[in-house]
Amino acid sequence: MSLFFRPISLSLALLLAVVMLPLRGEAFANVKVGEVIENAELPVLGGGKHSLLGKDKVNVFVFFKPGQEHSHTTLVELARCANELAGKSVHWVAVVSDRYPTEEVQAEVKQTGFTAPVLIDAGDALYGKLGVALHPVVGIADAKHALVAYQPFTKINYCDTVKARIRFGLGEISQAELEQVLNPPEASQGGEAAVARRFYKMGERLLKAGDLTKALDSAKKSIERDASQAPSHSLLGAILAAQGNCAEANKAFDQALAIDKADARAVDGKKGCAGK
Amino acid sequence: MKRAGLVLTAGMLLFAHGAWGAGKAPPPATYKATGKLATAPGALAPLPANQQAAWSHAPFEEGNCSICHEKDDKKNPGPLSMPTNELCYSCHEEFQDMMGKREHKHAAAKESCSNCHNAHNSREKKLLLADTKTLCFSCHPKAKKEIESAKVVHQALNNEKKCADCHNPHAANVEKLLVKLPFDLCVSCHSRDDIKDAEGKKLTNFKTLLDNNKEWHAPVAAKDCSACHKPHGSDNFRLLSMPYPSAFYAPYDPKNYALCFDCHNDQILAEPKTTTLTKFRDGDRNLHYLHVNKQDRGRTCRACHEVHASNQAHHIRDAVPYGPKGWMLKVNYTQTATGGSCAKTCHQTKEYVNKKPDAGKADGKKKP
Repeated sequence: MSLFFRPISLSLALLLAVVMLPLRGEAFANVKVGEVIENAELPVLGGGKHSLLGKDKVNVFVFFKPGQEHSHTTLVELARCANELAGKSVHWVAVVSDRYPTEEVQAEVKQTGFTAPVLIDAGDALYGKLGVALHPVVGIADAKHALVAYQPFTKINYCDTVKARIRFGLGEISQAELEQVLNPPEASQGGEAAVARRFYKMGERLLKAGDLTKALDSAKKSIERDASQAPSHSLLGAILAAQGNCAEANKAFDQALAIDKADARAVDGKKGCAGK
Repeated sequence: MKRAGLVLTAGMLLFAHGAWGAGKAPPPATYKATGKLATAPGALAPLPANQQAAWSHAPFEEGNCSICHEKDDKKNPGPLSMPTNELCYSCHEEFQDMMGKREHKHAAAKESCSNCHNAHNSREKKLLLADTKTLCFSCHPKAKKEIESAKVVHQALNNEKKCADCHNPHAANVEKLLVKLPFDLCVSCHSRDDIKDAEGKKLTNFKTLLDNNKEWHAPVAAKDCSACHKPHGSDNFRLLSMPYPSAFYAPYDPKNYALCFDCHNDQILAEPKTTTLTKFRDGDRNLHYLHVNKQDRGRTCRACHEVHASNQAHHIRDAVPYGPKGWMLKVNYTQTATGGSCAKTCHQTKEYVNKKPDAGKADGKKKP
């Protein structure tokens, strides 16, 4: 087995390093993001030989060991990822040391549902060459076999993260979309603006039902919560106009138009109140 | 219902299963064998007259039954005018947005808002059918068991919002319906100096620690505290997910290092000679094995490594606590091009060499 890594151009390496967003300071000890991994053929669990890296657009390889919870979880997660990405140009392999009994490895892999080739790393040679140090860990390389991402185990969002890195490598998602997965936005509940929208909606329903007093109350509550929403002001105007109070209605319509000059209800309301 | 006027807002009035005004408050929803939630009969009715509601849904409070029901008749409002969630979303539109856009959705919320909420009134905030823990545990018995049987329980579970401190019960962008990535959640509390454990021992301020130490352990850098800690409860100290020695010395037993070995290779402590398993070796002499694999005074991982962050490569500590008074003995570790050294520390200065000075090719790299 002949393995070596060659530097690629500095600018390309820097671009890849930024674009693929590896964990800070994290990579294989002997192969950094951007460096090219030369391919190798290794024996496969169950017979035959298979290459570490293929001709696909993206190469995914995972180092694991049997009888370890995180490795088991990783293979389960990667099996799920592989299913979700079925049919795409991705070369999947797993790598396991030859120190473990074949039957044990086969049983473990079968349990996880991981169906890609499992390469046998005799004497941990590949492990040592790359400077792996961890189990489990996933490496992702591009079509030219340059390492573009290093992904140690995480208990949360593992498949999401690996999948997003692969999809980015396939050109299916943008840098911004990848970033959304790696650093997902907080799942907030909406805040005051959302509550204001609820009062607005309720006001609309009450206006439709003909209960102008309660509708007026709802529209005012909506504006109290968030005065920046034009529809709440134009709703207030419409209710006031329906009550025959065009003087106040016009003020509300003007507020709505100051926020959104195209607010149709305010434009129509102003016309309706003209001269009154 | 004095606070009723303060309440949420429109939209979720649901036709009650039970009669108004009579009987005890019903239990919250529970899973049936089908996996479908089954709200107990009467659970969605307004509270009986003899039970004071703390929170009331605005349309119900104002008597506007027809906002949600077909008729505006309190005694006979008829069925809902739309399917439940569609009806709720017609006012609570942000929930439709989050249920649509966020990757991870709560099955109960997807099925029906009324699995957790009473659209009329409730003794609980957010019109919940029961207090947060009772409601969550009614469908998540594994979490209940884990927490109730744990020797060490995360005190955050008793914060005001309980489960909802960390989980969004509707939908989230992170697995397990976490509001944020685990690290961001943990540090939002563990960034103060006044948090103590159950025995009164002060807990680390992680903002300070991480600001001052730039070499972060991979799970920390990956914002995944849960790689090592069980956020609900554990049988191990500091909510660790598996055993880890708490002392400086321990007889070597792989079981003691189960936590570390769930990512790190156990063979680095098992083989006296290697050229592949670790870089902490002098030639092929495995120095991890030398330090740790002893039946009397094996050094534990913590003797040399900081588990969260340090300022030295390989998470090496600046100093190690030594003796009963906790004197900090400097490690004086220096990383070199061919290995490293520890100077005037537990032992006299010792160097190790794990590669030859011009060993680029041997290490798998072509020289430019």
